[in-house]
Amino acid sequence: MKKKQIAITLGIMCFLLTIAICVQIRTMSSANSTVSKTLSDNGLRDEVLKMKEKYDTTYKDLENAQKELEKVRQEATQNDSTAEAKEQELKENNMILGNTNVTGEGVEIILQDATSTNNSFNLSDQLIHYGDIQWVVNELKNAGAEAIEVNGQRIVNTSAITCEGNIIKINGERIGSPFIIKAIGSKSLLYGALERAGSILDVIRDYGNTAKVTKKDSITVSKYSGVISYEYLKENK
Amino acid sequence: MILIAIILGCVIGALIGINLPMISYTYSGYLAIAIIAALDSVFGGITSTLKKNFDLKIFVSGFFGNAILAMLLTYLGQKLNVDIYLAAIVVFVGRMFNNLGIIRRYYIEKWSFNKEKKEEKEN
Repeated sequence: MKKKQIAITLGIMCFLLTIAICVQIRTMSSANSTVSKTLSDNGLRDEVLKMKEKYDTTYKDLENAQKELEKVRQEATQNDSTAEAKEQELKENNMILGNTNVTGEGVEIILQDATSTNNSFNLSDQLIHYGDIQWVVNELKNAGAEAIEVNGQRIVNTSAITCEGNIIKINGERIGSPFIIKAIGSKSLLYGALERAGSILDVIRDYGNTAKVTKKDSITVSKYSGVISYEYLKENK
Repeated sequence: MILIAIILGCVIGALIGINLPMISYTYSGYLAIAIIAALDSVFGGITSTLKKNFDLKIFVSGFFGNAILAMLLTYLGQKLNVDIYLAAIVVFVGRMFNNLGIIRRYYIEKWSFNKEKKEEKEN
């Protein structure tokens, strides 16, 4: 009799205990535990990769369509001298706007964050900041550069070089060290402007960062990958 | 008999517990500490059954009393910004291992005793 009583009590206790454990486990699994967090992180990463792939294929399609358009234009203007002149003008304007890859003599500048810790205590000093890039770009423009590219991002008239926390964005695309700036223009003029005493490159080097300028006889600046569109602009009559 | 009752209780409890609604995340900490306390009581109950000094009143009051006290301590700790529940967990888990050791020793001794007896009989 006593043993039966004990068994029933223990059974009831275990019953209550397992109910509580089940409820607790279900609550915890539905809550934002670390496991579910990493799982959702993985899902987000997958999503990003998928979107990037989609973007890449769309971009390729766009490039193909542009080539097609070019072909059609050429065919249409083959036997028409005025249209041919227009076509030439269009090409030139596109080149100036930054819509095509361009080649010419110029300079290549490589800016790199300091790799080894020097005697500077301020970690911020050992980084290339967006201001440095802006300064270099301004210096290049001032020296007559005709086309400038930073890490594959063409500087066009709508380009912005911004600081977004710990990354630098150009044309809305994030870029990082090392920064390879390519500029087309008179190579000796550009080189002289950048390597003069007290130039921005001197300042960058003073902080322990790397800044290299090389003259190039032929350098290719890639085209602007975005779309130039205007919404509010109207011609003044 | 006791083993069957425990297993039956666990199975029925699991079946019902799966279908019960979830509690809010804020209170899950209290439930967790109550579970540890109750688990300790169950192990204590099994141990005392083996030692044949099982008292129903002590067992039931310990089961609920420990759980409620642990929850109250957790609440107090939250108000005072001290993790008192850690102390409760240390005590309960320590006792659980203690009781588990007693249960293990009891069954191993029983098993080796039976074996010896058998050998004696064969000889």
